Amino acid sequence: MTDAPTTDRWIRWLNTIQLVIAGIIILTPTAWMVMSSFKPSFEVTAYPPTLIFSPTIQNYIELTRTTPFFNYAINSMIVTVGSTSLGLLFGIPAAFAVSWTRISWPAILTLAARMAPGTLFLLPWYVMFRQVGLIGSYTALILSHAVITLPIVIWVLLPSFDSIPRSVFEAAQVDGCSVTRILWRIAIPLVGSGIAVSAILAFVFSWNYFLFALVLSNGDTKTLIAAAFNFVGEGSTQWGALMAAATLIALPPLLLAMLVQRWLVAGLTLGAVKG
Amino acid sequence: MASISIRNLVKRYGNLTVIPDLNLEIADHEFVVFVGPSGCGKSTLLRIIAGLEPISAGELFIGDRRVNGVPASQRDIAMVFQDYALYPHMRVYDNMSFALELRGTPKAEIDMRVKRAAALLHIEPYLDRKPKELSGGQRQRVAMGRAIVRNPKAFLFDEPLSNLDAKLRGQVRAEIKALSQQLKTTMVFVTHDQIEAMTMADRIVVLQNGTVQQYDTPEAVYERPTNQFVAGFIGSPAMNFFPVELQGEQAVFAQDGSAAPIDAESSSRLRKSGKAVLGIRPEHFAVAGDAAAGATVTVKLVEPLGSDTLIHFDLAGAAAIARVEPSLRPKVGDRVTLRPQPAHIHLFEAESGTVLR
Ligand SMILES: Nc1ncnc2c1ncn2[C@@H]1O[C@H](COP(=O)(O)OP(=O)(O)O)[C@@H](O)[C@H]1O
Ligand SMILES: [Mg+2]
Repeated sequence: MTDAPTTDRWIRWLNTIQLVIAGIIILTPTAWMVMSSFKPSFEVTAYPPTLIFSPTIQNYIELTRTTPFFNYAINSMIVTVGSTSLGLLFGIPAAFAVSWTRISWPAILTLAARMAPGTLFLLPWYVMFRQVGLIGSYTALILSHAVITLPIVIWVLLPSFDSIPRSVFEAAQVDGCSVTRILWRIAIPLVGSGIAVSAILAFVFSWNYFLFALVLSNGDTKTLIAAAFNFVGEGSTQWGALMAAATLIALPPLLLAMLVQRWLVAGLTLGAVKG
Repeated sequence: MASISIRNLVKRYGNLTVIPDLNLEIADHEFVVFVGPSGCGKSTLLRIIAGLEPISAGELFIGDRRVNGVPASQRDIAMVFQDYALYPHMRVYDNMSFALELRGTPKAEIDMRVKRAAALLHIEPYLDRKPKELSGGQRQRVAMGRAIVRNPKAFLFDEPLSNLDAKLRGQVRAEIKALSQQLKTTMVFVTHDQIEAMTMADRIVVLQNGTVQQYDTPEAVYERPTNQFVAGFIGSPAMNFFPVELQGEQAVFAQDGSAAPIDAESSSRLRKSGKAVLGIRPEHFAVAGDAAAGATVTVKLVEPLGSDTLIHFDLAGAAAIARVEPSLRPKVGDRVTLRPQPAHIHLFEAESGTVLR
């Protein structure tokens, strides 16, 4: 028999250790990346890494001078905002329909699609989009990225919709609401934080996804992350510029997450509705 | 305002038949209460009327309109749910105005109707609050308010009082009854509480296993139950039952062979089947001074209620209760002679439970 307070203390210790380890694993590369981006280029690859250096924005200047960085950023923004909007547009009604009818296979299907390796889609898509002359278009990129955003939206929102008492929907029916009206007037307002969470997650995942853009974009529509991928090994790798690019790429999702942190936690813990 | 007519209604969930074959006519302006034990199909029947559950077979009319396939949103009925089902994101005012707004009622009229309903239900101070800022009793009123701002064909209530404390329940019960007399709208009220049924209904539908056991006024259901189930379900404390049989010319308790004091008319009814179940309500025992006039029993437990006194005892192998004068306070172990009032004796067929007439 274990003594309850002792067990509690152990668990708290283990939690702390876990958090520290996770923190080191996640933060070390990030810190390394950010620091490297401010180092003079000869110091970036120095081993062991220098911890004390005179910071410079040379890498950032180099980055914007040698690449159409801001065009890529705008491309990324267009594709991410487009695919997130598309994901919300279809994902919200889809999640509601699954919750309403309790027919769950469509949701499972989207999850399966999300879990399948992206390479599986590449060839058929390439052929299909070429047939309709959409290779290199934003449309192709936005549509393909919907494979990322749609399942996220559906699966984040399903439990939120499920947590609304059935009788609330029934009351709305009796009051004269069609199902579409119930979605607009009752369900969506009640899962606001869930929608915010799903939008952020969809944004982040779409922003960071590079595989589809690698194949389906052209020089004009290339997304930031796909472009950054190309820095590696183009002639000699510009490590400093690459680090600067990576730092900038990481910024929007980070800012977004910080901005809506409180919502995010509320949404993830599903405080959605309590009668 | 409309009548409700249910014809040969069948409701199945997969293989489970919840309502085998049900017919019911509810008149315009009538206050009908569905009462029965938990799981007997009251809510199912109410939800079918509301249009929230599809019908497996049969027909449903609201007014002259056959509404079998009509969605709930187009039936023009109002419903109060057991958990109130208020819209959590809307203020009380918006909860009440929502249905009117959906129907395109002019703003001024919506405002007038919401204010009037709020006044009627004493919820004016809360109109700007969200449901989570209200107590259970206040939420219940808002749920009623949401129903009465409309002018629906019928009001449906599914156990709306079951989440209130006892005192509030009695109060709201009276209010709903007063409201029904004011509104003059068809009302269907579901409860498992026979006191609610007795106090509020114009007519009571006693349900068991999805079948109507009796459909009549509270007085008739109480005084002339059609079977042993209804007799036992309506009334509190419940009716006492004793198996009896005919021995020669004499009616006796089957258990111990002691004489059952039955009048001539009851005897003749008993004669038809030879044995039966005798039912007598607790208040229909008289205390007799003369031991020969009734059954002498030993007092097991005394419950003084103030208004009257309940005496628990065993008779002919069955536990029974008598309700007597409050001044009468026998002690446990005392011997008391109780005489069933012959006019109030019910006889039921032993197997089927159907009343013997
Ligand atoms: N959605 C459902 N699926 C299957 N069985 C159900 C469903 N709803 C109710 N039932 C069954 O129907 C019967 C009647 O239920 P209900 O009408 O809720 O009873 P009551 O309201 O009288 O307590 C019960 O046996 C219940 O288990
Ligand atoms: Mg019920």
